[in-house]
Amino acid sequence: MAADSTTLKKGYAQLVLPAVMAAALIYFIVLAKGAIFPFILSAALAYILSPMIRYFEVRGIKRTYSVAGLYISVGALLFIGVYLLFHFLSYDLETLQRAWPAYAGRIETYFTNLNAKVTASFPFLAGLKLNDKLQHLLDLAPQFLLGLLPALSLLFIVPFITFFMLIGGAGIIDYLLDHLPSRHSELILHIASRIDGSLGNYLRGILTEAFIIFLIAFTGLVLMDLNYAAVIAILIGVSSLVPYLGAIVGAVLSSVVAYLQFGTLLPIIKILAFFTGIRFFDDWFLQPYIMKKAVKLNPAIILLALMAGGEIGGIWGVVFSIPVTCILKEILLIAIELQETEFRWKPKPEPTRISIPFT
Amino acid sequence: MRFLNILNSIYDEEILRKLDFLRGIRLFEGIRKRAMIHVLESLQERTYLKGETIFAQGDIGRALFIVFSGKIALSRLDPATQKSDVIAEVHPGEFFGEMALLEEMPRTATAVAAEETKVFMLFKIKLDSLLFARPKIGVTIASQLARILSARLRAIMEKPAEN
Repeated sequence: MAADSTTLKKGYAQLVLPAVMAAALIYFIVLAKGAIFPFILSAALAYILSPMIRYFEVRGIKRTYSVAGLYISVGALLFIGVYLLFHFLSYDLETLQRAWPAYAGRIETYFTNLNAKVTASFPFLAGLKLNDKLQHLLDLAPQFLLGLLPALSLLFIVPFITFFMLIGGAGIIDYLLDHLPSRHSELILHIASRIDGSLGNYLRGILTEAFIIFLIAFTGLVLMDLNYAAVIAILIGVSSLVPYLGAIVGAVLSSVVAYLQFGTLLPIIKILAFFTGIRFFDDWFLQPYIMKKAVKLNPAIILLALMAGGEIGGIWGVVFSIPVTCILKEILLIAIELQETEFRWKPKPEPTRISIPFT
Repeated sequence: MRFLNILNSIYDEEILRKLDFLRGIRLFEGIRKRAMIHVLESLQERTYLKGETIFAQGDIGRALFIVFSGKIALSRLDPATQKSDVIAEVHPGEFFGEMALLEEMPRTATAVAAEETKVFMLFKIKLDSLLFARPKIGVTIASQLARILSARLRAIMEKPAEN
Protein backbone atom coordinates (compact mmCIF):
# COMPACT_ATOMS: atom_id res chain seq x y z
CA MET A 1 0.00 0.00 0.00
CA ALA A 2 2.84 2.35 1.04
CA ALA A 3 4.75 1.41 -2.09
CA ASP A 4 1.65 2.16 -4.16
CA SER A 5 1.26 5.65 -2.69
CA THR A 6 5.00 6.34 -3.25
CA THR A 7 4.62 5.34 -6.90
CA LEU A 8 1.55 7.56 -7.19
CA LYS A 9 3.39 10.53 -5.60
CA LYS A 10 6.34 9.93 -7.95
CA GLY A 11 3.88 9.85 -10.85
CA TYR A 12 2.40 13.23 -9.89
CA ALA A 13 5.88 14.70 -9.20
CA GLN A 14 6.90 13.86 -12.76
CA LEU A 15 4.10 16.10 -14.02
CA VAL A 16 5.07 19.18 -11.95
CA LEU A 17 7.94 20.40 -14.15
CA PRO A 18 6.11 19.96 -17.49
CA ALA A 19 3.02 21.65 -16.00
CA VAL A 20 5.04 24.64 -14.73
CA MET A 21 6.79 24.91 -18.11
CA ALA A 22 3.47 24.75 -19.97
CA ALA A 23 1.95 27.42 -17.68
CA ALA A 24 5.01 29.68 -18.16
CA LEU A 25 4.77 29.19 -21.94
CA ILE A 26 1.06 30.10 -21.97
CA TYR A 27 1.75 33.18 -19.79
CA PHE A 28 4.57 34.23 -22.13
CA ILE A 29 2.31 33.79 -25.18
CA VAL A 30 -0.41 35.93 -23.56
CA LEU A 31 2.11 38.67 -22.64
CA ALA A 32 3.87 38.73 -26.02
CA LYS A 33 0.81 38.05 -28.14
CA GLY A 34 1.68 40.64 -30.77
CA ALA A 35 5.30 39.56 -31.18
CA ILE A 36 4.45 35.87 -31.25
CA PHE A 37 1.86 36.18 -33.94
CA PRO A 38 4.28 36.17 -36.95
CA PHE A 39 5.91 33.08 -35.41
CA ILE A 40 2.57 31.27 -35.26
CA LEU A 41 1.97 32.17 -38.91
CA SER A 42 5.52 31.02 -39.76
CA ALA A 43 5.00 27.73 -37.94
CA ALA A 44 1.82 27.20 -39.96
CA LEU A 45 3.68 27.99 -43.20
CA ALA A 46 6.57 25.70 -42.20
CA TYR A 47 4.04 22.95 -41.55
CA ILE A 48 2.47 23.48 -44.99
CA LEU A 49 5.88 23.48 -46.72
CA SER A 50 7.40 20.58 -44.78
CA PRO A 51 6.20 17.83 -47.22
CA MET A 52 8.18 19.55 -49.99
CA ILE A 53 11.33 19.50 -47.84
CA ARG A 54 10.64 15.87 -46.94
CA TYR A 55 10.26 15.13 -50.67
CA PHE A 56 13.85 16.22 -51.30
CA GLU A 57 15.17 14.77 -48.05
CA VAL A 58 14.07 11.20 -48.84
CA ARG A 59 15.73 11.61 -52.23
CA GLY A 60 19.03 12.16 -50.48
CA ILE A 61 19.35 15.96 -50.43
CA LYS A 62 20.40 17.25 -47.00
CA ARG A 63 17.79 19.31 -45.21
CA THR A 64 19.73 22.61 -45.28
CA TYR A 65 20.23 22.38 -49.03
CA SER A 66 16.61 21.29 -49.58
CA VAL A 67 15.34 24.35 -47.69
CA ALA A 68 17.80 26.68 -49.41
CA GLY A 69 16.94 25.22 -52.85
CA LEU A 70 13.22 25.53 -52.23
CA TYR A 71 13.59 29.13 -51.07
CA ILE A 72 15.79 30.13 -53.98
CA SER A 73 13.57 28.60 -56.67
CA VAL A 74 10.03 28.97 -55.27
CA GLY A 75 10.99 32.15 -53.42
CA ALA A 76 12.23 33.78 -56.61
CA LEU A 77 9.01 32.90 -58.42
CA LEU A 78 6.91 34.11 -55.51
CA PHE A 79 8.92 37.31 -55.23
CA ILE A 80 8.25 38.10 -58.88
CA GLY A 81 4.57 37.21 -58.36
CA VAL A 82 4.27 39.32 -55.21
CA TYR A 83 6.17 42.19 -56.81
CA LEU A 84 3.84 42.16 -59.82
CA LEU A 85 0.87 41.88 -57.51
CA PHE A 86 2.06 44.84 -55.46
CA HIS A 87 2.55 46.75 -58.65
CA PHE A 88 -1.03 46.09 -59.73
CA LEU A 89 -2.33 46.44 -56.18
CA SER A 90 -0.70 49.77 -55.38
CA TYR A 91 -1.77 51.14 -58.76
CA ASP A 92 -5.31 49.87 -58.19
CA LEU A 93 -5.46 51.25 -54.66
CA GLU A 94 -4.12 54.65 -55.72
CA THR A 95 -6.61 54.81 -58.59
CA LEU A 96 -9.38 53.74 -56.26
CA GLN A 97 -8.41 56.42 -53.75
CA ARG A 98 -8.49 59.06 -56.47
CA ALA A 99 -11.68 57.83 -58.10
CA TRP A 100 -13.43 57.01 -54.84
CA PRO A 101 -15.10 60.44 -54.29
CA ALA A 102 -16.77 60.17 -57.71
CA TYR A 103 -17.86 56.57 -57.09
CA ALA A 104 -19.02 57.41 -53.59
CA GLY A 105 -21.03 60.30 -55.02
CA ARG A 106 -22.74 57.99 -57.54
CA ILE A 107 -23.48 55.36 -54.90
CA GLU A 108 -24.77 58.08 -52.55
CA THR A 109 -27.04 59.61 -55.22
CA TYR A 110 -28.39 56.15 -56.05
CA PHE A 111 -29.13 55.38 -52.41
CA THR A 112 -30.49 58.90 -51.69
CA ASN A 113 -33.03 58.47 -54.51
CA LEU A 114 -33.83 54.96 -53.29
CA ASN A 115 -34.15 56.21 -49.72
CA ALA A 116 -36.46 59.06 -50.80
CA LYS A 117 -38.72 56.59 -52.61
CA VAL A 118 -38.72 54.14 -49.68
CA THR A 119 -39.35 56.80 -47.00
CA ALA A 120 -42.18 58.26 -49.13
CA SER A 121 -43.88 54.84 -49.08
CA PHE A 122 -42.84 53.92 -45.51
CA PRO A 123 -42.40 57.19 -43.51
CA PHE A 124 -41.30 55.37 -40.30
CA LEU A 125 -37.98 54.40 -42.03
CA ALA A 126 -36.93 58.10 -42.09
CA GLY A 127 -36.12 57.83 -38.37
CA LEU A 128 -33.34 55.31 -39.13
CA LYS A 129 -31.27 58.02 -40.95
CA LEU A 130 -29.99 55.51 -43.53
CA ASN A 131 -28.40 58.31 -45.58
CA ASP A 132 -26.12 59.44 -42.74
CA LYS A 133 -25.05 55.86 -42.02
CA LEU A 134 -24.25 55.24 -45.68
CA GLN A 135 -22.27 58.50 -45.87
CA HIS A 136 -20.22 57.40 -42.85
CA LEU A 137 -19.50 53.97 -44.42
CA LEU A 138 -18.48 55.52 -47.73
CA ASP A 139 -16.07 57.89 -45.94
CA LEU A 140 -14.48 54.99 -44.11
CA ALA A 141 -14.02 52.61 -47.08
CA PRO A 142 -10.76 53.99 -48.62
CA GLN A 143 -9.08 54.35 -45.20
CA PHE A 144 -10.03 50.75 -44.42
CA LEU A 145 -8.44 49.47 -47.63
CA LEU A 146 -5.25 51.47 -47.09
CA GLY A 147 -5.19 50.33 -43.46
CA LEU A 148 -4.75 46.76 -44.72
CA LEU A 149 -1.38 47.58 -46.31
CA PRO A 150 0.76 47.35 -43.11
CA ALA A 151 -0.50 43.77 -42.62
CA LEU A 152 1.21 42.98 -45.95
CA SER A 153 4.60 43.49 -44.23
CA LEU A 154 3.98 40.02 -42.77
CA LEU A 155 4.58 38.74 -46.31
CA PHE A 156 8.28 39.51 -45.81
CA ILE A 157 8.70 38.71 -42.11
CA VAL A 158 6.91 35.34 -42.17
CA PRO A 159 9.00 33.65 -44.93
CA PHE A 160 12.17 34.84 -43.15
CA ILE A 161 11.17 33.18 -39.84
CA THR A 162 9.82 30.12 -41.71
CA PHE A 163 13.26 29.58 -43.30
CA PHE A 164 14.91 29.10 -39.91
CA MET A 165 12.01 27.02 -38.64
CA LEU A 166 12.32 24.67 -41.62
CA ILE A 167 16.08 24.29 -41.14
CA GLY A 168 15.96 23.71 -37.39
CA GLY A 169 12.50 22.16 -37.19
CA ALA A 170 13.45 18.56 -37.90
CA GLY A 171 15.94 18.45 -35.03
CA ILE A 172 13.37 19.63 -32.46
CA ILE A 173 10.74 17.19 -33.74
CA ASP A 174 13.21 14.25 -33.69
CA TYR A 175 14.24 15.20 -30.13
CA LEU A 176 10.60 15.30 -29.00
CA LEU A 177 9.83 11.98 -30.73
CA ASP A 178 12.75 10.26 -29.04
CA HIS A 179 11.66 11.59 -25.64
CA LEU A 180 8.04 10.51 -25.79
CA PRO A 181 7.12 7.93 -23.14
CA SER A 182 8.33 4.80 -24.94
CA ARG A 183 5.30 2.57 -24.36
CA HIS A 184 2.86 5.29 -25.45
CA SER A 185 4.88 6.58 -28.38
CA GLU A 186 3.03 4.25 -30.78
CA LEU A 187 -0.34 5.70 -29.76
CA ILE A 188 0.93 9.31 -29.70
CA LEU A 189 2.53 8.96 -33.13
CA HIS A 190 -0.65 7.31 -34.44
CA ILE A 191 -2.73 10.28 -33.24
CA ALA A 192 -0.17 12.77 -34.58
CA SER A 193 -0.08 11.11 -38.01
CA ARG A 194 -3.89 11.01 -38.15
CA ILE A 195 -4.14 14.75 -37.37
CA ASP A 196 -1.24 15.51 -39.70
CA GLY A 197 -2.87 13.53 -42.52
CA SER A 198 -6.26 15.22 -42.41
CA LEU A 199 -5.15 18.73 -41.40
CA GLY A 200 -2.22 18.80 -43.82
CA ASN A 201 -4.35 17.61 -46.72
CA TYR A 202 -7.10 20.11 -45.85
CA LEU A 203 -4.76 23.10 -45.53
CA ARG A 204 -2.70 22.29 -48.60
CA GLY A 205 -5.88 21.52 -50.53
CA ILE A 206 -7.77 24.66 -49.59
CA LEU A 207 -4.76 26.92 -50.19
CA THR A 208 -4.15 25.37 -53.62
CA GLU A 209 -7.86 25.77 -54.40
CA ALA A 210 -7.88 29.44 -53.28
CA PHE A 211 -4.74 30.15 -55.33
CA ILE A 212 -6.17 28.56 -58.49
CA ILE A 213 -9.45 30.49 -58.06
CA PHE A 214 -7.46 33.70 -57.53
CA LEU A 215 -5.49 33.06 -60.77
CA ILE A 216 -8.63 32.28 -62.81
CA ALA A 217 -10.50 35.30 -61.39
CA PHE A 218 -7.54 37.63 -61.96
CA THR A 219 -7.04 36.46 -65.56
CA GLY A 220 -10.79 36.64 -66.31
CA LEU A 221 -11.25 40.11 -64.81
CA VAL A 222 -8.15 41.50 -66.58
CA LEU A 223 -9.45 40.08 -69.88
CA MET A 224 -12.82 41.73 -69.21
CA ASP A 225 -10.91 44.98 -68.68
CA LEU A 226 -12.44 45.53 -65.27
CA ASN A 227 -10.80 48.07 -62.95
CA TYR A 228 -9.19 46.89 -59.68
CA ALA A 229 -8.89 43.31 -61.00
CA ALA A 230 -5.97 42.57 -58.60
CA VAL A 231 -7.79 43.81 -55.48
CA ILE A 232 -10.98 41.95 -56.39
CA ALA A 233 -9.06 38.76 -57.29
CA ILE A 234 -7.22 38.84 -53.93
CA LEU A 235 -10.49 39.28 -52.06
CA ILE A 236 -11.97 36.38 -54.07
CA GLY A 237 -8.93 34.19 -53.33
CA VAL A 238 -9.07 34.94 -49.61
CA SER A 239 -12.84 34.50 -49.38
CA SER A 240 -12.53 31.18 -51.29
CA LEU A 241 -11.21 29.75 -48.04
CA VAL A 242 -14.87 29.77 -47.00
CA PRO A 243 -16.89 27.43 -49.24
CA TYR A 244 -19.25 29.23 -51.65
CA LEU A 245 -18.16 32.66 -50.39
CA GLY A 246 -15.44 33.23 -53.02
CA ALA A 247 -17.75 33.17 -56.02
CA ILE A 248 -20.43 35.24 -54.21
CA VAL A 249 -17.92 37.91 -53.12
CA GLY A 250 -16.46 37.94 -56.63
CA ALA A 251 -19.84 38.22 -58.34
CA VAL A 252 -21.13 41.01 -56.05
CA LEU A 253 -17.91 43.09 -55.99
CA SER A 254 -17.23 42.75 -59.70
CA SER A 255 -20.84 43.58 -60.57
CA VAL A 256 -20.71 46.77 -58.46
CA VAL A 257 -17.38 47.79 -60.04
CA ALA A 258 -18.67 46.93 -63.53
CA TYR A 259 -21.81 49.02 -62.93
CA LEU A 260 -19.72 51.99 -61.78
CA GLN A 261 -17.19 51.58 -64.61
CA PHE A 262 -19.40 50.77 -67.61
CA GLY A 263 -22.89 51.81 -66.45
CA THR A 264 -24.52 49.13 -68.66
CA LEU A 265 -26.05 45.72 -67.96
CA LEU A 266 -24.08 43.53 -70.44
CA PRO A 267 -20.72 43.51 -68.53
CA ILE A 268 -22.60 42.59 -65.35
CA ILE A 269 -24.24 39.62 -67.08
CA LYS A 270 -20.82 38.53 -68.44
CA ILE A 271 -19.33 38.76 -64.93
CA LEU A 272 -22.18 36.79 -63.35
CA ALA A 273 -21.80 34.07 -66.02
CA PHE A 274 -18.02 34.02 -65.40
CA PHE A 275 -18.42 33.53 -61.65
CA THR A 276 -21.11 30.88 -62.12
CA GLY A 277 -18.55 29.09 -64.33
CA ILE A 278 -15.89 29.39 -61.60
CA ARG A 279 -18.33 27.98 -59.03
CA PHE A 280 -19.10 24.90 -61.17
CA PHE A 281 -15.43 24.42 -62.08
CA ASP A 282 -14.61 24.49 -58.36
CA ASP A 283 -17.37 22.04 -57.47
CA TRP A 284 -16.89 19.58 -60.32
CA PHE A 285 -13.12 19.61 -60.94
CA LEU A 286 -11.09 21.36 -58.25
CA GLN A 287 -12.69 20.05 -55.06
CA PRO A 288 -13.05 16.37 -56.07
CA TYR A 289 -9.41 16.29 -57.16
CA ILE A 290 -7.69 18.50 -54.57
CA MET A 291 -9.74 17.74 -51.47
CA LYS A 292 -10.25 14.00 -51.95
CA LYS A 293 -7.95 13.02 -49.08
CA ALA A 294 -8.82 15.88 -46.73
CA VAL A 295 -11.10 15.83 -43.71
CA LYS A 296 -14.66 16.67 -44.73
CA LEU A 297 -16.16 19.73 -43.04
CA ASN A 298 -19.81 20.62 -43.43
CA PRO A 299 -20.26 24.24 -44.71
CA ALA A 300 -22.50 24.96 -41.69
CA ILE A 301 -19.69 23.84 -39.35
CA ILE A 302 -17.23 26.02 -41.28
CA LEU A 303 -19.49 29.06 -40.87
CA LEU A 304 -19.93 28.34 -37.16
CA ALA A 305 -16.13 27.98 -36.79
CA LEU A 306 -15.49 31.25 -38.62
CA MET A 307 -18.03 33.16 -36.52
CA ALA A 308 -16.75 31.65 -33.28
CA GLY A 309 -13.13 32.33 -34.37
CA GLY A 310 -14.02 35.96 -35.10
CA GLU A 311 -15.71 36.27 -31.72
CA ILE A 312 -12.73 34.79 -29.86
CA GLY A 313 -9.72 36.16 -31.74
CA GLY A 314 -10.89 38.78 -34.25
CA ILE A 315 -9.52 38.59 -37.79
CA TRP A 316 -6.76 36.14 -36.84
CA GLY A 317 -9.32 34.03 -35.00
CA VAL A 318 -11.08 33.73 -38.37
CA VAL A 319 -7.78 32.76 -40.10
CA PHE A 320 -7.05 29.95 -37.63
CA SER A 321 -10.64 28.81 -37.07
CA ILE A 322 -10.68 26.25 -39.91
CA PRO A 323 -7.38 24.49 -39.04
CA VAL A 324 -8.42 24.36 -35.38
CA THR A 325 -11.80 22.91 -36.39
CA CYS A 326 -9.99 20.26 -38.48
CA ILE A 327 -7.89 19.30 -35.46
CA LEU A 328 -10.93 19.21 -33.16
CA LYS A 329 -12.89 17.05 -35.61
CA GLU A 330 -10.01 14.59 -35.98
CA ILE A 331 -9.48 14.47 -32.19
CA LEU A 332 -13.19 13.77 -31.72
CA LEU A 333 -13.06 10.95 -34.30
CA ILE A 334 -9.91 9.51 -32.69
CA ALA A 335 -11.50 9.76 -29.22
CA ILE A 336 -14.52 7.77 -30.40
CA GLU A 337 -12.25 5.19 -32.06
CA LEU A 338 -10.13 4.91 -28.91
CA GLN A 339 -13.27 4.26 -26.86
CA GLU A 340 -14.11 1.44 -29.26
CA THR A 341 -10.63 -0.09 -29.41
CA GLU A 342 -9.13 0.53 -25.94
CA PHE A 343 -12.34 0.27 -23.90
CA ARG A 344 -14.25 -2.14 -26.16
CA TRP A 345 -17.48 -0.19 -26.41
CA LYS A 346 -18.42 -2.11 -29.48
CA PRO A 347 -17.33 -5.68 -30.26
CA LYS A 348 -15.56 -5.86 -33.61
CA PRO A 349 -17.38 -7.99 -36.17
CA GLU A 350 -15.40 -10.99 -37.41
CA PRO A 351 -14.32 -10.61 -41.03
CA THR A 352 -15.40 -14.22 -41.70
CA ARG A 353 -16.48 -17.31 -39.76
CA ILE A 354 -13.16 -18.12 -38.14
CA SER A 355 -14.24 -21.63 -37.14
CA ILE A 356 -13.79 -22.74 -40.76
CA PRO A 357 -10.56 -24.82 -40.56
CA PHE A 358 -7.33 -23.55 -42.09
CA THR A 359 -6.84 -25.16 -45.51
CA MET B 1 36.91 16.71 -58.43
CA ARG B 2 35.83 19.81 -56.57
CA PHE B 3 32.36 19.49 -58.15
CA LEU B 4 32.12 15.90 -56.86
CA ASN B 5 33.06 17.11 -53.37
CA ILE B 6 30.28 19.70 -53.51
CA LEU B 7 27.82 17.00 -54.67
CA ASN B 8 28.95 14.76 -51.80
CA SER B 9 28.35 17.52 -49.27
CA ILE B 10 24.80 18.02 -50.61
CA TYR B 11 23.94 14.33 -50.81
CA ASP B 12 22.99 12.45 -47.65
CA GLU B 13 24.65 9.00 -47.70
CA GLU B 14 22.48 7.86 -44.78
CA ILE B 15 19.38 7.92 -47.03
CA LEU B 16 21.09 5.61 -49.52
CA ARG B 17 21.93 3.23 -46.66
CA LYS B 18 18.32 3.27 -45.45
CA LEU B 19 16.97 2.65 -48.95
CA ASP B 20 19.35 -0.28 -49.43
CA PHE B 21 18.32 -1.62 -46.05
CA LEU B 22 14.61 -1.41 -46.89
CA ARG B 23 15.18 -3.26 -50.17
CA GLY B 24 16.33 -6.25 -48.14
CA ILE B 25 13.13 -6.40 -46.08
CA ARG B 26 10.89 -9.29 -47.06
CA LEU B 27 7.73 -7.17 -46.65
CA PHE B 28 8.92 -4.81 -49.40
CA GLU B 29 10.05 -7.52 -51.83
CA GLY B 30 9.01 -6.65 -55.37
CA ILE B 31 9.05 -2.88 -54.89
CA ARG B 32 11.43 -1.12 -57.28
CA LYS B 33 14.34 0.92 -55.91
CA ARG B 34 12.90 4.24 -57.05
CA ALA B 35 9.51 3.42 -55.54
CA MET B 36 11.20 2.56 -52.24
CA ILE B 37 11.52 6.32 -51.67
CA HIS B 38 7.74 6.47 -51.14
CA VAL B 39 7.98 3.64 -48.62
CA LEU B 40 10.70 5.53 -46.75
CA GLU B 41 8.48 8.63 -46.80
CA SER B 42 5.74 6.64 -45.07
CA LEU B 43 7.96 5.29 -42.31
CA GLN B 44 8.51 6.87 -38.92
CA GLU B 45 11.90 6.47 -37.22
CA ARG B 46 12.45 6.19 -33.50
CA THR B 47 15.29 5.11 -31.25
CA TYR B 48 14.58 3.07 -28.11
CA LEU B 49 17.12 2.86 -25.31
CA LYS B 50 18.01 -0.49 -23.73
CA GLY B 51 15.17 -1.68 -21.50
CA GLU B 52 12.49 0.62 -22.93
CA THR B 53 9.14 -1.02 -23.60
CA ILE B 54 7.96 -0.59 -27.18
CA PHE B 55 4.54 -2.07 -26.45
CA ALA B 56 3.07 -4.39 -23.86
CA GLN B 57 0.93 -7.47 -24.29
CA GLY B 58 -2.70 -6.33 -24.43
CA ASP B 59 -1.94 -2.84 -25.84
CA ILE B 60 -3.81 -2.01 -29.02
CA GLY B 61 -1.46 -2.38 -32.01
CA ARG B 62 -1.29 0.32 -34.63
CA ALA B 63 2.09 -0.09 -36.29
CA LEU B 64 4.52 -2.62 -37.68
CA PHE B 65 8.13 -2.29 -36.47
CA ILE B 66 11.20 -2.93 -38.60
CA VAL B 67 14.48 -3.22 -36.70
CA PHE B 68 17.14 -1.05 -38.36
CA SER B 69 19.83 -1.55 -35.71
CA GLY B 70 19.97 -3.14 -32.27
CA LYS B 71 17.83 -5.97 -30.92
CA ILE B 72 14.26 -6.38 -29.62
CA ALA B 73 13.09 -9.11 -27.25
CA LEU B 74 9.51 -10.35 -27.56
CA SER B 75 8.04 -11.99 -24.48
CA ARG B 76 4.66 -13.47 -23.65
CA LEU B 77 2.98 -13.79 -20.29
CA ASP B 78 1.68 -17.24 -19.49
CA PRO B 79 -1.77 -16.69 -17.89
CA ALA B 80 -1.54 -19.95 -15.94
CA THR B 81 1.87 -19.37 -14.30
CA GLN B 82 1.87 -15.54 -14.59
CA LYS B 83 5.47 -15.87 -15.82
CA SER B 84 6.84 -14.00 -18.78
CA ASP B 85 9.04 -15.91 -21.24
CA VAL B 86 11.07 -14.53 -24.12
CA ILE B 87 9.56 -16.08 -27.22
CA ALA B 88 11.76 -14.45 -29.85
CA GLU B 89 14.51 -11.93 -30.52
CA VAL B 90 14.21 -9.61 -33.48
CA HIS B 91 17.42 -8.56 -35.24
CA PRO B 92 18.21 -5.88 -37.86
CA GLY B 93 16.34 -6.52 -41.10
CA GLU B 94 13.49 -8.35 -39.34
CA PHE B 95 10.09 -6.99 -38.39
CA PHE B 96 7.32 -7.64 -35.88
CA GLY B 97 3.82 -6.41 -35.02
CA GLU B 98 2.53 -6.96 -38.55
CA MET B 99 -0.97 -7.92 -37.33
CA ALA B 100 -1.49 -4.25 -36.40
CA LEU B 101 -1.51 -3.40 -40.11
CA LEU B 102 -4.67 -5.44 -40.58
CA GLU B 103 -6.72 -4.80 -37.45
CA GLU B 104 -6.45 -2.70 -34.32
CA MET B 105 -6.47 -5.53 -31.79
CA PRO B 106 -4.54 -6.20 -28.57
CA ARG B 107 -0.87 -7.16 -28.98
CA THR B 108 -0.15 -10.81 -28.26
CA ALA B 109 3.33 -10.17 -26.81
CA THR B 110 5.45 -7.53 -25.09
CA ALA B 111 8.33 -5.94 -27.01
CA VAL B 112 11.34 -4.55 -25.11
CA ALA B 113 14.54 -3.09 -26.52
CA ALA B 114 17.33 -5.54 -25.57
CA GLU B 115 19.90 -2.90 -26.51
CA GLU B 116 19.77 0.60 -28.00
CA THR B 117 17.60 -0.01 -31.05
CA LYS B 118 16.55 2.07 -34.00
CA VAL B 119 13.26 1.05 -35.60
CA PHE B 120 11.14 2.09 -38.55
CA MET B 121 7.42 2.17 -37.81
CA LEU B 122 4.82 1.64 -40.51
CA PHE B 123 1.43 2.79 -39.26
CA LYS B 124 -1.81 1.26 -40.56
CA ILE B 125 -2.97 4.73 -41.64
CA LYS B 126 0.21 5.16 -43.73
CA LEU B 127 -0.28 1.78 -45.40
CA ASP B 128 -3.88 2.82 -46.16
CA SER B 129 -2.54 6.07 -47.71
CA LEU B 130 -0.03 4.08 -49.79
CA LEU B 131 -2.81 1.77 -50.99
CA PHE B 132 -4.85 4.82 -51.97
CA ALA B 133 -2.16 7.11 -53.40
CA ARG B 134 0.33 4.53 -54.75
CA PRO B 135 -1.66 1.35 -55.29
CA LYS B 136 1.24 -0.53 -56.90
CA ILE B 137 3.36 -0.20 -53.76
CA GLY B 138 0.40 -0.67 -51.40
CA VAL B 139 -0.78 -3.84 -53.11
CA THR B 140 2.76 -5.29 -53.14
CA ILE B 141 3.06 -4.73 -49.38
CA ALA B 142 -0.46 -6.09 -48.72
CA SER B 143 0.23 -9.18 -50.80
CA GLN B 144 3.59 -9.80 -49.06
CA LEU B 145 1.85 -9.31 -45.72
CA ALA B 146 -0.79 -11.90 -46.64
CA ARG B 147 1.94 -14.37 -47.67
CA ILE B 148 3.91 -13.84 -44.44
CA LEU B 149 0.82 -14.26 -42.27
CA SER B 150 -0.22 -17.35 -44.21
CA ALA B 151 3.27 -18.86 -43.73
CA ARG B 152 3.17 -18.12 -39.99
CA LEU B 153 -0.33 -19.59 -39.68
CA ARG B 154 0.78 -22.68 -41.57
CA ALA B 155 3.79 -23.04 -39.25
CA ILE B 156 1.52 -22.89 -36.20
CA MET B 157 -0.94 -25.40 -37.68
CA GLU B 158 1.82 -27.82 -38.61
CA LYS B 159 3.58 -27.61 -35.25
CA PRO B 160 1.40 -30.17 -33.34
CA ALA B 161 1.86 -32.73 -36.11
CA GLU B 162 5.63 -32.61 -35.56
CA ASN B 163 5.29 -33.39 -31.84
